Amino acid sequence: MTHALRPLKLYLANRYFVLGVPFFIFAVVVVLSVAILAIIGTMQGFPLSEEVRESTRNNVGVLFSAPGFLVSVGVYAATRNFALALALGVTRRNFWAGTALGFVLTSAVTATTAVVGLGLEYLTNHWFIGVHVFDVHMFGNGDVTLLFVGLFVTAMACLAGGALFGTLFRAYGTVRTVMWGAAIGVAALALLALAATNEARVLAWQDAWGEWLSVSVVAAVAAAFLAGSYAAVRRATV
Amino acid sequence: MTAGISVIGLTKTYGDHTVLDDLHLTFAAGKIHGLLGANGTGKTTLMSLMSRHTFPTRGRVLLDDREFGEDPRQAQRLCFVRENQLYNDAFKVRDVLRIAPDFYPTWDAATTTRLVDRFRLPPATVVKKLSRGQRSALAIVLALGSRADFTFLDEPYLGLDPGARETFYEELIRSYGAQPRTIIMSTHLVDEAAPLLEEVVVLNQGRVALQAPLEEAEALALTLSGPTTSLDRWLQEHPDHPSLTRRTLGPTATVTTLGPLSDAESASASQAQLRVTSTSLQGLVAALGNSNHEVA
Repeated sequence: MTHALRPLKLYLANRYFVLGVPFFIFAVVVVLSVAILAIIGTMQGFPLSEEVRESTRNNVGVLFSAPGFLVSVGVYAATRNFALALALGVTRRNFWAGTALGFVLTSAVTATTAVVGLGLEYLTNHWFIGVHVFDVHMFGNGDVTLLFVGLFVTAMACLAGGALFGTLFRAYGTVRTVMWGAAIGVAALALLALAATNEARVLAWQDAWGEWLSVSVVAAVAAAFLAGSYAAVRRATV
Repeated sequence: MTAGISVIGLTKTYGDHTVLDDLHLTFAAGKIHGLLGANGTGKTTLMSLMSRHTFPTRGRVLLDDREFGEDPRQAQRLCFVRENQLYNDAFKVRDVLRIAPDFYPTWDAATTTRLVDRFRLPPATVVKKLSRGQRSALAIVLALGSRADFTFLDEPYLGLDPGARETFYEELIRSYGAQPRTIIMSTHLVDEAAPLLEEVVVLNQGRVALQAPLEEAEALALTLSGPTTSLDRWLQEHPDHPSLTRRTLGPTATVTTLGPLSDAESASASQAQLRVTSTSLQGLVAALGNSNHEVA
């Protein structure tokens, strides 16, 4: 365990980058969402109509704002941090374990930030003008557990996906990484096609599981990416 | 004292290109080894293989007679910060220096502090913004600070001014004196680094051209000069002293060859009006690099 903590410390070397940035991303989402509603309010008059306020429950900013950043964190960890970890006498297996722990931390901080944001959203009566940022349909309209777990597994999937492709690059080079990417893309399309041809069954699952079905799928993707990066890191070189 | 690093039948190929070809070497523990040779002869690749940054096509590397694989305690005995080391773009110098001590129980904080000061490394600067010389200085700080049992230095002076190079040589000796360990250093500034070295390995086209203690290697390097016909006749009569490089100027020629000469050979050279002078280790490395000769 001690040996895996060293690459974790390497991952956390710049704490602001891996733990602080999600907070700022969500803050920007809140500011932009409020700004957009303020513009609408300026045109239509305050207070905003119930219809406008309720429409912001479809706000997907909190889900789609952070993935780009999180994927880049995963890629950097698997390429740059990997190179420095090996330089400083870390084994590949320990590097993977320590970095995966780091991903858990980043994901937990991301999800916790969203939960705190949800609390603030309630405290401020939806940011003073009735805009919904965290209290949205896709996260169960204020379901704290769904918000936390949903964002946690999404962040893990993004970090692990970035790490998988970074590790594939280190193990196999550019051309074969692109081929791996294409293969993963084709596999994803095949799964979607399978779901489409079994629409009735998928809808039945959706009815039974609700939003937790999507959360489970994303969690499975994150687990598959982590397993893939573990398999690839054994062949990764500098 | 431990056994050191053993390289057994090490071969590395990239496609059709063979970078290292069936290398057999031993880097004895507790010495400073010079890894010498022209560009592209496989020095960095050899260090990468010895530190498991990459994998061999064939062959093995033993650390103190043991395969080390994924053993973290063995891996922790190695430090190889490359001359073009990759760092996370978000890292500042102080981030790297803050975490590095956690990687080595042998970390030498006093040396690190002194080196950062002597190289004037700016702690608040992002590593990717450092100059070439400052990146080399950071690599030196990490390598010497680690006090790892097996420390690799890959052309550590790149971008350093002469004063900073002097600082490096001085600190290397000081650190090594305080805790002798195995240091393997590749360098093109052979004569400048020679006083630090105890053993030298010269690579040429992926093979070992020479492995010898420094004194022996320095004694090997000779130049013979004189009338071309006399020189050619003498070389024909003494096949143990091959012509590694040759320069002809009118009726006279100069060759670099392998010494030392026996008393009889010195006498016959003198009789043939040949002038025998010793040449530098750098001259020998260059000569071996320009020939296909391997010193047994």
